[in-house]
Amino acid sequence: MLTINLFNGLVYGALLFVMCSGLALIYGLRRVVNFAHGSLYMLGAYLGYSIAGYANFWLALVLAPAVMAVLGVLLDRYGFRLLQKRDPLSVVLVTFGLLLVIEDFVQTVWGKSNLALAAPPALGGALDLWGTPVPVYRIAVIAIGALVALGLMFWLRWSRAGLYVRAASTDPETTAMQGVNTDMLSAAVVGLGTALAGLAGVVAAPFLSLSPSMSGDVIIDSFVVVVVGGLGSLAGAFVAAMVLGMLQALGAVYLPDVAALLPFMLMVVVLVWRPSGFAGSRT
Amino acid sequence: MTMRSLWLTTLCALAAGGLFGFFVHSGTLLSLLTQALIYAVLAVGVGLLLRQNGMVSFGHALFFGVSGYGVGILMQANLMPAELAIALTLAGVALAAFLVGLVIVRVPGVSFGMLTLAIGQMFYLTASRSRGLTGGADGMNIDWPARLFGVPIAQLLKPGAMFVLCWSALVVVLFLLALLLRGRFGSVTEAVRDNEERARFIGILTLMPRALVFALSAFVSALAGVLSALNTGFVSPEALHWSVSGVALMMAVVGGYKVLWGPALGAVVYFLAKDALGDHATHWMAIFGVALITVIVFSPAGIAGALGRLARGGPGRAGR
Repeated sequence: MLTINLFNGLVYGALLFVMCSGLALIYGLRRVVNFAHGSLYMLGAYLGYSIAGYANFWLALVLAPAVMAVLGVLLDRYGFRLLQKRDPLSVVLVTFGLLLVIEDFVQTVWGKSNLALAAPPALGGALDLWGTPVPVYRIAVIAIGALVALGLMFWLRWSRAGLYVRAASTDPETTAMQGVNTDMLSAAVVGLGTALAGLAGVVAAPFLSLSPSMSGDVIIDSFVVVVVGGLGSLAGAFVAAMVLGMLQALGAVYLPDVAALLPFMLMVVVLVWRPSGFAGSRT
Repeated sequence: MTMRSLWLTTLCALAAGGLFGFFVHSGTLLSLLTQALIYAVLAVGVGLLLRQNGMVSFGHALFFGVSGYGVGILMQANLMPAELAIALTLAGVALAAFLVGLVIVRVPGVSFGMLTLAIGQMFYLTASRSRGLTGGADGMNIDWPARLFGVPIAQLLKPGAMFVLCWSALVVVLFLLALLLRGRFGSVTEAVRDNEERARFIGILTLMPRALVFALSAFVSALAGVLSALNTGFVSPEALHWSVSGVALMMAVVGGYKVLWGPALGAVVYFLAKDALGDHATHWMAIFGVALITVIVFSPAGIAGALGRLARGGPGRAGR
């Protein structure tokens, strides 16, 4: 019983981390909290659904994030870059407007009813984990989360582009003076962040159903994660995503009455204790 | 605006509203406008926080919905007359918001918005899941007594009377806020908003005024909630949902929060536009999303700002 709950917590934590790594990256470079991130996740999920309908799940897993990456680059070039001199709150409101547009687009194209995307046959079935059968697909979700975490860590730590990203997150102006094209860098990072939202959407589709309300549920959990972890911090987001995933999974079983409130209580407690989150913000 | 013209404008506005409610008999138009006015009061609350504190709240639906529930629950318990229930609910919401405000107005910038969103959503989930007191996702009916403030409830709920009531509430709220913000309180909160550190240097206590503005803005939004409960006789978790907060914020920004009445204008424009869209109204999210982006990018002062520029006669330069 406990095994399956801890396992489900890990699955949801992994999904949240993929979501939030995108939010954190974008915040790091552009100082924008992207309210539309949940809608981009939803758009990714529905795109994945359509691509999987024409071809198969594996193609959807690659193509949907790729399309989202292009969208992200455009969003940065024609959105965030033009607004970078504005005060952060008005940019937040612009992303809120974008959220409304994307929600409407998804409802118009795919309808309001729930849709289901089947897991690929190769990942069907269940494995035995210490006497508890667990679906193979969920193990794959954890693996994807781990791959994203490791990939981002190696990229940021040990590549030249990663060095630039870290530098630009700390001080964009000085970084630009050293000859780094921070606009290109931001476009790439916002593209990557948006692609990660799309990836999270496709990955989530087979085990959470597709519905127009899917963005609202996940964006609020993601906000809790990035705020608790510290805006812009990937490590903070990782820890917070795992804590929140576990809290959700265990809370649903042991404290069903208040399970829905646990994430918010966590957020309120952490913010009152440390207004800038576990890892502190880099602003 | 001088004191004299403030009084004059207020009295004229009250009289005009009364005449409008008396002479217009179209029930659909009146109820549409009534709804717009209720949201106008809510948007004024959101705009007040934005204007005086520079803080964006994504959670004002909380005060809007909670006050409806408060009145409903107090009257269901049959402990007190409806008038007292209303007063107690409004005072309770303002006091609670003040205490919470003392903690959360210290959270900087965007985190504040995310925090209000989370707190609001917490109440939404609680209200939709607890079956007993609030009727869960189905919402609860509010049984108004036969007479409210000495007026028979059937008279009060007529479209014309309801319109006049909501209009008067809006005008009086705007008048009182204008009166309050003319004084020292207005200057102090603006100083704190513009530069908290400097305000502290010159000896202003910076936490208290911000918490007071938060409480005041919660109070105004709660008033809108009570009006809505009176108008529909019903409250459901939908009133607490974040999309209500989002719409109210959008009205405040599109209308122009730099002047007090801007958010109210935004609300009226929102409802009239939604009505005029007719069949296209299913796409209201995309249309208003684009409108929101357009206003922020090209005319940050909103409709009220654009009108102000027109009134001053200049050609009005778009942009910042």
